Amino acid sequence: MSDQEDIVVKKENKSIENIDESDEESDDMDLKDSLKISSLKTLGPFIASKENSRNTVYVSDVPEICKDKPCMLGVDEAGRGPVLGPMVYGISYCPLESKKALEDLGCADSKQLTEEKRDIIFNDINTKDYATSCIGWAVEIISPNTISTSMYRRSKCSLNEVSMDSAMGLIQQAIDAGVNIAEVYVDTVGPPEKYQEKLLKRFPSFKITVAKKADSTYPIVSAASICAKVTRDHALKVWKFPEGLVIKDNAFGSGYPGDPVTRRFLTEHIDLVFGFPRLVRFSWSTAENALADKAYDMEFDEPDSEKPKFAGTKLTKFFKGTTKSGEVIREECRFFKQRHLGSVMEF
Amino acid sequence: MSITLDFNGKNIAKSNELELHFLPAKIDGDGEANVDHYFNNYTREATEFGRGILTNALRGYPLMGEKLKVPEGYSGLVLQETEKPISNSSDRQLRLTGVFKDFTYWNYDKVPSNGDPYRQALFLADVAQALSQPISEDDLEAEIVRNKENNKESP
Repeated sequence: MSDQEDIVVKKENKSIENIDESDEESDDMDLKDSLKISSLKTLGPFIASKENSRNTVYVSDVPEICKDKPCMLGVDEAGRGPVLGPMVYGISYCPLESKKALEDLGCADSKQLTEEKRDIIFNDINTKDYATSCIGWAVEIISPNTISTSMYRRSKCSLNEVSMDSAMGLIQQAIDAGVNIAEVYVDTVGPPEKYQEKLLKRFPSFKITVAKKADSTYPIVSAASICAKVTRDHALKVWKFPEGLVIKDNAFGSGYPGDPVTRRFLTEHIDLVFGFPRLVRFSWSTAENALADKAYDMEFDEPDSEKPKFAGTKLTKFFKGTTKSGEVIREECRFFKQRHLGSVMEF
Repeated sequence: MSITLDFNGKNIAKSNELELHFLPAKIDGDGEANVDHYFNNYTREATEFGRGILTNALRGYPLMGEKLKVPEGYSGLVLQETEKPISNSSDRQLRLTGVFKDFTYWNYDKVPSNGDPYRQALFLADVAQALSQPISEDDLEAEIVRNKENNKESP
């Protein structure tokens, strides 16, 4: 927390110094902007101020009315399939009676909307009075580094688990912030039944609907979807490579393996030892295959074998103690074997 | 077979100190690596797992590690062999490329512990000392006296 106070202090000093500088495009953006997302313009700087190898959660201010009146809450994700960049989970919520605001914003299937249209709606959600007074939202940016390391753990954690944890985490954040949730709508790619069951177990008091394409059916889900999608697009736009790569306009394509621009990015930026910059999800087969072809082979400790072997000592072992000439084979001492030690020289 | 270590104490003192990582992976390649930008950049402390525990990842594989010192009384040396020995019995020559006092030890998705082969291997230092330390006459006599007393106590 002390970190944050520090920043606030700096911010105040700064705003006094250059009070009439309105050069928003400059790199040393006012720090105030990087702490709060108050419009489309402040989204990029906020993301850029965070470490991109870790997850970032942003929760908007909760409109007072949402603490009072029963609310509906939508959940959706963006960037599940691409081999590049973060996956973003988003939620949005508003009172059941405020459906009109969502319609006025033009929330509809986010995939049907153009990028410009999504940007405009996102901006409206954060700036227009009729929206800020009743709609709140939150996103979690799940970094590609986190995705890779989760999927490559000794006990693998699938993308579905990562997703569900993120969704439930965001709902919990909304609860903790005081949102009076009554209904939850979730868009899913996988089978809805299992997901619904898991959510109901964790949040038994809500009316929960999990559906495919909920994005186009429920405006509150499309609002969540727009927040997630716009955040993901901006995360890619402001991506700074800690590896020091500079790519003009961050043009690495859609991130989908079929996109030729993305494919070129993947083949042109292979590091022989480390593979890719951590914008890439190493656990995607596209990335794995590219590395198998072009980078040094790398072999890891085997993950702990899942099937323990219970078979005891084989009987035949006792007949194997000598070589053909009758010499006794001595097994290496356990002390050395367990420690991976061996003799370099025969004495 | 003989192994020639082609350096002396002076070389060691003059050698440059290296920054090393002990990785839980076999890398089938040899050459320079951009360690600062692709790896050191991402090392983070993870105090939730204990003091000094570090996290990072290598090609997406999660790593957990810690900074380790070379045991007291020992020096860390990096040796290089320019010509691979033709057979097990041929002579070998090793050259000194650098020295180190500490290094970063990494496990694949496991908090470093006494179960790690590296830490286990270091037990050898104690065992080797116990086995090869010269024993004086006085030590022997003291030990004999101690044994006798022990035998008296137990009926």
